[in-house]
Amino acid sequence: MADGYAVRACVLTTERAAGKSIITVEGLSLREKETFVYAFGTAGSVQCGFCIPGMVMAAKALIDRNPDPSTAEIKKAIRGNVCRCTGYKKIITGIKRAAAILRGEEELRDVVQFTGKMLPEQKEFISVVGSKYDPELASGIENYENKGKSSEFGVGQNVFRIDVRKKVLGYGKYPDDIGPEYFVPSDRPDLMMELAGWTKEEYEEASAKGLTGIGRTVSRKDEPLCNIFTVVDPDMPPMAYCSAVRSQYPRAVVKKIIKEKAESLPGVLGVLTAEDVPHNKVGHIQQDWDVMIAEGDTTRMVGDAICLVVAESPYILEQAKKAVKIEYEQLEPVRSIAEAKAEGAPKVHSAGNLCQQRHVVRGDAAKALKESAYTVTGTFRTPFTEHAFLEPECAVSFPYGDGVKILSTDQGAYDTRHEVSIMLGWEDTPERIIVENQLIGGGFGGKEDVTTQHISALAAIKFGRPVKAKFSRSESLRVHPKRHAMEGTFTLGCDENGILTALDCDIDFDTGAYASLCGPVLERACTHSVGPYNYHNTDIRGHGYYTNNPPAGAFRGFGVCQSQFALESLLNVLAEKAGISPWEIRYRNAIEPGLELPNGQIADVSTALKETLVAVKPYFDDAPPDRVGIACAMKNAGVGVGLPDKGRAVLEVKDGLVWIYTAASDIGQGCQTVFVQDVAQATGLPLTKIWIAPSNTGNAPDSGTTSGSRQTLVTGEAVKEAAKLLKAAMDEEGITEETLGRMNGRSFEYEYFEPTDKLGSDKPHPKSHIAYGYATNVAVLDAEGRVTDIYAAFDAGKVVNPLSMSGQIEGGVLMGMGYALTENWPLEDCVPTARYGTLGLLRATDIPDIHAIHVEKKELLDAAYGAKGIGEITTIPAAPAVAGAYYARDGVLRTSLPMEDTYYSKK
Amino acid sequence: MAKRIKKTAYVRCRGGSPLLEGIDRAALPNDCEAILGLYPDGISRCRYGCLGGGSCVSACHLAAINIEGSGPPSVDAGKCVGCGLCGRACPQNIIDVINREYIIRPKCSNRDAGKTAREACDNSCISCGICVKVCPAASITIESGSPVIDPETCLGCGMCAVKCPRGVIRDIRGIITSAE
Repeated sequence: MADGYAVRACVLTTERAAGKSIITVEGLSLREKETFVYAFGTAGSVQCGFCIPGMVMAAKALIDRNPDPSTAEIKKAIRGNVCRCTGYKKIITGIKRAAAILRGEEELRDVVQFTGKMLPEQKEFISVVGSKYDPELASGIENYENKGKSSEFGVGQNVFRIDVRKKVLGYGKYPDDIGPEYFVPSDRPDLMMELAGWTKEEYEEASAKGLTGIGRTVSRKDEPLCNIFTVVDPDMPPMAYCSAVRSQYPRAVVKKIIKEKAESLPGVLGVLTAEDVPHNKVGHIQQDWDVMIAEGDTTRMVGDAICLVVAESPYILEQAKKAVKIEYEQLEPVRSIAEAKAEGAPKVHSAGNLCQQRHVVRGDAAKALKESAYTVTGTFRTPFTEHAFLEPECAVSFPYGDGVKILSTDQGAYDTRHEVSIMLGWEDTPERIIVENQLIGGGFGGKEDVTTQHISALAAIKFGRPVKAKFSRSESLRVHPKRHAMEGTFTLGCDENGILTALDCDIDFDTGAYASLCGPVLERACTHSVGPYNYHNTDIRGHGYYTNNPPAGAFRGFGVCQSQFALESLLNVLAEKAGISPWEIRYRNAIEPGLELPNGQIADVSTALKETLVAVKPYFDDAPPDRVGIACAMKNAGVGVGLPDKGRAVLEVKDGLVWIYTAASDIGQGCQTVFVQDVAQATGLPLTKIWIAPSNTGNAPDSGTTSGSRQTLVTGEAVKEAAKLLKAAMDEEGITEETLGRMNGRSFEYEYFEPTDKLGSDKPHPKSHIAYGYATNVAVLDAEGRVTDIYAAFDAGKVVNPLSMSGQIEGGVLMGMGYALTENWPLEDCVPTARYGTLGLLRATDIPDIHAIHVEKKELLDAAYGAKGIGEITTIPAAPAVAGAYYARDGVLRTSLPMEDTYYSKK
Repeated sequence: MAKRIKKTAYVRCRGGSPLLEGIDRAALPNDCEAILGLYPDGISRCRYGCLGGGSCVSACHLAAINIEGSGPPSVDAGKCVGCGLCGRACPQNIIDVINREYIIRPKCSNRDAGKTAREACDNSCISCGICVKVCPAASITIESGSPVIDPETCLGCGMCAVKCPRGVIRDIRGIITSAE
């Protein structure tokens, strides 16, 4: 904030800032800080947290001018601040609440919730400073001891997330927050004392415990989950920076890499090429991704790394990158699926352009379609989409033990370890690599593949010092895999009553230059293309093609957004032919417990699709029939399809507290809070006794990737069962909350694994996935075609944290609406042309009112308290629901995304 | 009740173009139409900018627009109600009525590009297009030789104002650039 106005830090250079009064989130008064922490925490405004300090400052500038802002004024004030997680609704609520508290109209209550976990010193600090400033603030603290009981923090409670404080006040660390000062030589106790705020005695005490030895990481006194430095060998040089020079052309032979000039610049440590990589391939599932393109090899996309420059400062790094010259021989690229399929097409990979294929058959679709009363065929096209997570990729690696430690932002620490171990040729000793998640500024699937982690690790090992690799936004846009672009032809049939008979479809995916997660994404697109309906004749052919476009991989919805858009759109046409409403056709065909899903799996007791349909019926009926659209969705929870998808957790009692160790990335969705709730519920311990460590392959067991909406269910079940073991031991030994210290050093672990069946299993009723979530969305337009309301009913089993679940729904639904109407990631001859600002992300002023409806059945699954996960399904039904509303409005079946001729496309 | 959107007059010229040879400002009439009648190609090297005759000042009922020295006029935000009379009185068509909330505004009306524009005035837009390139929201286009910012999509970040090599784009709050 400069002279009272919110401004962007990147615009206001220090030169322009000179002479102005500048306030950042650190400079807020204590009252303001506590207010925003409380208001944003209780409103559920915080998910990944990366946008939050910006939102806080925009709000502060607004509230200073206008103490009682309206919703419209708040939306306008934060219009320039993008949030990709929340859908803005809860941020707006948080700002309203903060304004009310600052006006004195609302109080700060429930101190333990608004401060998260307080250590005694922090409590004292707040009460002393707070009472001077604000007696009300201090009086709340008196009640501190009474709060945080498990009854207020257990499963099903509206819980204040455990990471709110550090995200609102901006002291939480994302990898890019790690600078040279993070690495403190072991012979500098003065620095350690300064950074940790230790007295000499405290330092000596810590040293005696071995906490200041080489390799140890020290965290903030008031927040053991926020590391401030790592002790390193005094001989280790300071942190360096690396960045790759990337290909200018999507397909070109790298003739020569001229790097001598760059290497001779002072401050440049070296320029690494493919020759310096022990094994020059990475890849999440298929190792087809060159770490760097070697001289003589051919590039596959514009984001391909050709060489890696390592330098002592970011400034020199940029100079050196410019000094590298690369000679190319340009070749004609493969631009599209059609070009990839064409006879004689250039091969993107030596084995050919077909990356993956799936064929899903049940019954006899051709015969059933022939006998159907009505059929409809449509060809659909959906675009690539960019995750647009707020935090661009960044990783810091440093030599550690006999290997390397990577401080990373990713969706699976063990996955990152695996990919890096392949690159380093350490597959037999992957434990030499330790991957530790920092805060993760959003993922949505886009942080499953390695991007910066492996190159920083490579440089750190090569030069024996910490190295940071950080993507610029344009690099991020070019390199990480997107949502697959789809071209698909679907034929759907029904009888004269609108009962579905059969589906026949071809789904072609453009997976770009590399496979990434093409296989599983394509598979999910195929298996879910039938929708959550009760019919059993399907013939689905899926193909994923390599092109020279940037790669496509995982993205929230995982292939299902594409196929469900097509299916649900055709369903509206069939409803019209059968003379029934779009709601009715869905209800008549909806899957119910005990019925066979289209893949043959028996729908379990928790299946609540019909309940979601019933939940939105009043809104569907009340809306004008020519302005309302509806769509259903299903989405698996857990990886399933016969893979060893395990959840693991270890609970350890340390210093009288329970620590949860599990390598499960919290990318902003809030799974760490869920795990703490699971433990509170199982043990009856209060929040203040339960801590959770960051995902770290060095001390936490592998609990799989944050993908497939699986953490709440799969890891949640492991955490719950481990907590039950702890509880049993406590009961047996008569241990209470107060005497927990007697169990110090004990640990309890649990591994959860429920086997599933492979795709194409010959069982009559194969179990593809351990659970499915269901949903129905209703979208309502105004007379001009603006989306005003989306009624979003979701069945996610047991709702663990209703506040977080609504946040997931609002954010996911808005993402789906953007997919339908505005978002695009255009390519010109395989070169992405979008900037972050032109991706078509919906902003605060564009949002409809999203009404999150939680459908919770009495019958639940017997794992993780019945929770099924909510992350991905939220993005799926909004796009077809909005498409349905436009179809009702003008009768035009829109078959491509973003849709043409809408209120939003006119802009 | 919805609040009325507050508007204000805005002059798209910062002045700064030297007078053509042989023109004596003191001898010019106090009426821009009349000035143009005498000198159809304008009086300064930039023929698109403010003539300084004060027709806008005469047109305003509220004394909200004033010329000190030779122009261009300044608008008193406290008095202006955005009625648009000044704009209608301006034969150069360089006074717009805009929403007050649009804080980032181009302040030049020169229609030429490159060298011609550069030589016409110290403060002229040369249509280099840097603003178009740096705008994160793709809100800027160059139309008739000057930047046009789409107020619907502009985020008010000011990146264009920071990067403009000619100082044409201004932050009227005076934070990112000086207001005038």
